[in-house]
Amino acid sequence: MRRFLVLLLALTLGVVGMGGVTAQEERVLVVGLSEDYHSLDPSRAYEPGGSLIHHSVYDTLVTFPSDSVSEIIPNLAESWEISEDGLVYTFHLRDDVTFSNGDPLTAEDVVFSFNRMKNLKDNPSFLADTIASVEAADDLTVVLTLTQPDAAILAKLIFDAFSVLNADQVREQGGTDAEDAAETDTAEEWLMNNSAGTGPYMVESYEPTVQTVLVRNPNYWGEPPYFDRIIIQNLPETSTQKLALEAGDIDIAMDVIADQLDSFEANPDIEVFSTQSDTLIWLLMNMDPEVGGPVSNTLVQRAIRYALNYEELRFLSGAGANTPASMVPIGFAGALDPSEALPQDLDQARALLAEAGYPDGFTIDLEYPDFNYIGTEFGIVAQKVQADLAQVGITVNLVPQEFQVSLDLYRNGEQGFSLWLWNPDYYDTLDYVEFLPSGVVGNRANWTDENADPAILELRDAVKTELDPAVRAELFGEIQRWLQENGPYAPLFQPGVHFAYRSDLQGFAYNGQWRVDLTLLSR
Amino acid sequence: MALHKYLARRLLLMIPLLVGISLVAFLISNSIPADPTAANLGERAAADPEIVAAFRAKWGLDQPLHIQYLTYIRNLLRGDLGTSIRSHRPIADELARFLPATIELATAGIVVSVVVGVIFGVISAVWRNKPIDFIVRFVSLIGVSAPVFWLALIGLLLLYLRWGIVPGPGRLDARVPAPPHVTGLYTVDSLLAGEWSTFRNAVEHLLLPSLVLGAYSSGLITRITRSSMLEVLSREYMTTARSKGLKERTVILRHGLRNALMPVVTIIGLSYGSLLSGAVLTETIFAWEGIGRYAYNAARTLDFPAIMGVSMLIAIVFVVMNLIVDLLYYVLDPRLRQE
Repeated sequence: MRRFLVLLLALTLGVVGMGGVTAQEERVLVVGLSEDYHSLDPSRAYEPGGSLIHHSVYDTLVTFPSDSVSEIIPNLAESWEISEDGLVYTFHLRDDVTFSNGDPLTAEDVVFSFNRMKNLKDNPSFLADTIASVEAADDLTVVLTLTQPDAAILAKLIFDAFSVLNADQVREQGGTDAEDAAETDTAEEWLMNNSAGTGPYMVESYEPTVQTVLVRNPNYWGEPPYFDRIIIQNLPETSTQKLALEAGDIDIAMDVIADQLDSFEANPDIEVFSTQSDTLIWLLMNMDPEVGGPVSNTLVQRAIRYALNYEELRFLSGAGANTPASMVPIGFAGALDPSEALPQDLDQARALLAEAGYPDGFTIDLEYPDFNYIGTEFGIVAQKVQADLAQVGITVNLVPQEFQVSLDLYRNGEQGFSLWLWNPDYYDTLDYVEFLPSGVVGNRANWTDENADPAILELRDAVKTELDPAVRAELFGEIQRWLQENGPYAPLFQPGVHFAYRSDLQGFAYNGQWRVDLTLLSR
Repeated sequence: MALHKYLARRLLLMIPLLVGISLVAFLISNSIPADPTAANLGERAAADPEIVAAFRAKWGLDQPLHIQYLTYIRNLLRGDLGTSIRSHRPIADELARFLPATIELATAGIVVSVVVGVIFGVISAVWRNKPIDFIVRFVSLIGVSAPVFWLALIGLLLLYLRWGIVPGPGRLDARVPAPPHVTGLYTVDSLLAGEWSTFRNAVEHLLLPSLVLGAYSSGLITRITRSSMLEVLSREYMTTARSKGLKERTVILRHGLRNALMPVVTIIGLSYGSLLSGAVLTETIFAWEGIGRYAYNAARTLDFPAIMGVSMLIAIVFVVMNLIVDLLYYVLDPRLRQE
């Protein structure tokens, strides 16, 4: 027995003692991330984590600059024209683009990719709803025809789902863009371990829940990136990411929470980047009196907006958080400046409540999904709302719900007074029209054309078809101001989003859509 | 009764047990007031009734409950565990991929806890009420009471970050590719492929997680070994052995521990079974994607086929573990063999 133990001890020590890492000539970047994607098929892409990969491996016709989402710049398309009626977009492709296998990019690849994405009917397919058809006028010209004018179409085209794939290569692997692609396309399997893109990197391997490895694309048509290999490692726990970053085993931690900032800031080897995210945390007040009770009343809705202490709510969320003036997040074209936000005014709130017929306040349930959304603890936010409203006589009963249960109720319009979040589906202010009557969110608040004020309906219809950026900004401004005084919502804050990386890393830039462009990093 | 008859009876009993588990898992999953469509479709897709209908049809969610269950059982008998709603991959493939990670971690954990637990337990019993006994009991108390996530994080903070004794999270370093797949156990597969540096790396990555995971069971095993040994040490045959002039060490180990092992084996078996059913917290912190993480993700996204598959797998693991423990009794205790 003793001999066995000694042997075991010696074996363990010997094995550990032999350790040593062979020198690598390659330049490798390691990213720590909580993996939220399970497919590398860009036409099905819908998760923010997956964007890191798709943005490095594929290109879209147009794109955003590395650090903002309010400007659209050329990418695969070097120029484009929009018809007078706003229904036809003609894109002129660059003539020097090649795929990772050497094939040249042609308009046919764009047509294939867009049709495939639409016909796969997966999560992002709704982005193609306004596209009637896409055709190749010639080898380098793509003509996109819409079903109605859509000012947001260019922003939508930047989404990963509109990545351009090598049609020939994907067809060889069972890919198809036919009407029945949802049932007949079999290329997803191949796309899990390979890629058919024009980006600076290619997919080398994908071990689900373990790591994704990208390697340099030797046939890249643009400026070659610094790193030869990028490893995206799945580290589901933020504390683990922090320890791995401090130890130098990863170069970037993607899921930093506010609590960790002080510790990172004190560390000279680590840089931190914080800003407000595009997520909007807000209160829903159901317009249907049977569901919302007192909060279906316009005056009560206005009173609640005046009763909240926005500064303290922001503080709760941690560094980087900010309060939007209305239901369009800061950072979007046309968003009101945060200085125009409603101030807290308890007297005004009480007066409005009295006017509405509730001089002594009322009691109401606040339903919310009891979970932590990247550092924002919904339970704590709900408690703060409860405390703020108590000051004007509204007694709030907290009703925490399991996430899926709450989500179901919310989507079915069965919640009277609830706390939710909204992430933009695409980076154009048009997405926030969903909060208006008969929009996706409007319906959940039972706010429809039947019970809405004609003024807001008019504004909504105008902004949906307007293409001129200046006029759009004006219309959105009016809509936001209207929502400040009326309507079933109270915007609470945009939580902060944080990243930490080794200080010897250069070129870090944050963009709401793909977060970090790994192809621009160097050491 | 004869061994083969006993074995046959136990294996046959597994069948109604599995049917029962599948029924319970199915009923519970379906009585949750939430819908997999909400969990698996994005905001926009879920707002489109056509897409929702297509989704429900594809996954058989529009069928009445008993039809869904019977379809599931029918496929199961053909070896088809279904397809995951979340990842679109066959459940059987996914379980085969996640299970080895858990087996590796659980086995390493149980080895640590058995070695530590039995040694501590014997020491504690032989030197009862001496200082060493109190030290050992205190340490095992920490093992049992410290929350596993706390142990894991403190372990990483000190042993990984501060002192650099163990590598970081994950089963291998990011730069080390996995060995060619044979069993899915990185240690075994790298040995089979002759990849020594990969083997070394895999063992290094196992050290801390197995220590953390084994902490709780080592505490349990220490206590049960101690009390079982104390019981045995007071028996008459111990005095007989000593009076025969045998060395004290032989008396304690060969005559004492050997006879004290029965209850210890039970606890080891149950602990191993419980470690094999996955330790979500440990697996999350160490980025060790095993059955625990799989079960958690399946439950979170209401992935019914995955929930059913993983529930049945865990049930089978427990049943088999129980069977092995019972067979071990048979081996360890000659009195049972004489029937």
